[in-house]
Amino acid sequence: MGSLSSSMWIAAEALGADQGALDATSNNIANQNTPGYSREIPVLTDAAPTVEGNITYGNGVVLEQIQSVRDQVLQIQISDQNQQQGSAQAQYSAMQQVQGLFSDPTTGIGADATTFFNSISQLSTDPTSIPDRQAVLTAAQTVASDFNSTEQNLDSIQSGLNQSVTQTVTQINTLTKQIAQLNIQVGQMQQLGQDPGTLGDQETQLIQQLSQLTTVNQIQTENGLTLTTGNGTPLVVGGQSFALQTTNGPAGMTDISSQGQDVTSSLQGGQLGGDLQVRDTVIPGLLSQVDTLASQFATSINVAQASGYDLNGNAGQPIFSDTSGAGAASNLKVSMTDPSLIAASSDGTQGSNGNVANLLAVQTQALPAGESPVNAYANLVSQTGNLTSQANAEVTASTASLNQLNDQLGAVSGVSLDEETTNLMNYQRAYEASARVITTVDALTQSVLDMGSGVTAAP
Amino acid sequence: MRVNPNYTPDILADLWQSQAQEQTAIQQLATGKRVNMPSDDPAAAAADVQNQALQSQNDQYIQNTSNLDGSLQTADSALSSVVTALNQAISLGVQGANGGVSSADQQALALQVQSIQSQLVQLGNTSYQGSFLFGGTATQSAPFALDSTQPSGVLYSGNSGVNNVEIAPGSSLQVNLPGSQIFQGAGGNIMSSIQQLVTALQSGNTTNIGTATTQVGSALSYVSEQRVFYGSAVSQLNSNQSFLQQEQVSLQTQDTSLVGVDFAKAATDLSQAQAAQSATLAALAQIIPQSLLNYLK
Repeated sequence: MGSLSSSMWIAAEALGADQGALDATSNNIANQNTPGYSREIPVLTDAAPTVEGNITYGNGVVLEQIQSVRDQVLQIQISDQNQQQGSAQAQYSAMQQVQGLFSDPTTGIGADATTFFNSISQLSTDPTSIPDRQAVLTAAQTVASDFNSTEQNLDSIQSGLNQSVTQTVTQINTLTKQIAQLNIQVGQMQQLGQDPGTLGDQETQLIQQLSQLTTVNQIQTENGLTLTTGNGTPLVVGGQSFALQTTNGPAGMTDISSQGQDVTSSLQGGQLGGDLQVRDTVIPGLLSQVDTLASQFATSINVAQASGYDLNGNAGQPIFSDTSGAGAASNLKVSMTDPSLIAASSDGTQGSNGNVANLLAVQTQALPAGESPVNAYANLVSQTGNLTSQANAEVTASTASLNQLNDQLGAVSGVSLDEETTNLMNYQRAYEASARVITTVDALTQSVLDMGSGVTAAP
Repeated sequence: MRVNPNYTPDILADLWQSQAQEQTAIQQLATGKRVNMPSDDPAAAAADVQNQALQSQNDQYIQNTSNLDGSLQTADSALSSVVTALNQAISLGVQGANGGVSSADQQALALQVQSIQSQLVQLGNTSYQGSFLFGGTATQSAPFALDSTQPSGVLYSGNSGVNNVEIAPGSSLQVNLPGSQIFQGAGGNIMSSIQQLVTALQSGNTTNIGTATTQVGSALSYVSEQRVFYGSAVSQLNSNQSFLQQEQVSLQTQDTSLVGVDFAKAATDLSQAQAAQSATLAALAQIIPQSLLNYLK
């Protein structure tokens, strides 16, 4: 049977529930700009009823839980886009530096090689002119120093990326350590059926930061979350994090290992994957092309020299020092210092320019690698341009996709001030009403007590 | 349906995009180039490298053409003097072959022809900027010298080499004839016909003088034929010059269409980006202060 005291209890419970709901609302409003925060909703249910005979008495409201509103699938999609964006962004910023080396068509290897051939062509109109011969040597030096600086600049971009790799590994290790610590608490709460709340938000936020740095696979297990790299190298298992180690690899580049295993080549995605892609694939590819071009250009000119005679009637000596293999471009030097040694003559007489045709042939004929020097250089320009614009397109695409996913996530988890203000008013009204119930029941109780003492309540 | 309450990142992204478009348009207008970095259009950037190489090469061909002009003109005018000298020698020979001329007069004529001979040697040693034009490729020492031990009275120390200079893509011009071919050719040997005329005049044999004069005459027509080489080389240079200048214009036009900016388009892009930006900013200013709280008292 219903009683005043049960009404009182129902109202008192309701005050508590509304207070909890107001707490949740207040927390939402407080965190409306906190990155990664998921709005919380109070889960209110009606309490188990009391049945007496034919009558079922409701027992008021219970605040069962304060639950964070999340969408795990969207979070995983966002993490996937994060690693794509991180990788594309890293590649784009590195490639912008690289393409800068090939961006001016009026300077650099291509233009200066043409100037070199022009100086030889000029010499053919007056083969004994010492100023014209000196101009050939000067132009050769410019070409050699272009090769030197192009390779040195590529090397320095590469070592800049190497530093970034080391720093990124440190960041990854810090994040996985933090995630592992949170993972213990979150796992325990989930096992008890509790909502991890803001701890869950923090963990999710850290995982999103981690996925900006490298590809992360998430597996939910009984002991909490397991995180691995894209290739399955463990990063976090339950409460334990597995740090990546950096070691000095060949050519001064940092290798990355996990538990003694070299995993450098298996790391993809995120800033780390993007940096590694440019450091280990793109730049070595360009360096090898620049080296090949330098060595074949120098060799071809030297061979053409050898087929002619210098101003003293001697067989032509090399203009360039012979270089080959890795570092050929940065080692390229002009070994000739005496302009009279340029072999313009084909018959040993000073006035002959017959060997100029052999020297000029290097300009138009394909080098052993398959293209003329200027075309090989143009090819480098288009390669670096293509890689940069591809990376840029990927940044644009992944950013657009991320914006859209974040919109979707915001629609689920974002804090709306309008909504919270509405809730605030609702819970305020409900609290006020429950409080009124208590004062009413109190008055009734007073009346009941007064009934016993014979004193009537004041009118 | 619930929508994302936090729309500022989207609006900011739009704002950044219109700012980026604005910057691109301004850069294009400022540089006059559509392709400022290889990534703007990789294929056009590569083609631009090749185009610049062709332009620079073409400039060098123009340079070569004007460099050669001087030496070819000098050679041509030297050969013109050779023709004049030979005509003088012929008229001296005709005088010497005349039956009425005295022996003393013949000796005097012989001296005059000898001086023509020295003049021819000098013409054979014509040089341009320190290089002898008629020594073949042996340009650094005088190719002709009087030498009485030679049957022709003149020793040729040059060679029979010729030089070619590239004056257009894949096209070379021969820039000299060896002196041995011009002055001692099989079709008409200037030096030996003059030497024979001197010998004949000195001997006073009118028949020999007549024969030698005829030979000088055939040497004259031969050298005139050789002179055509220089004349046509000069005119080839002239026509080449105008070809190269046209080529330069056409390469520049190609380059502009490869990497040059379409000013009208860039200006339109700029004003569109500016319009988009001010619209986004206006929207941002309107929307951000709005919430239910504004209406609660």
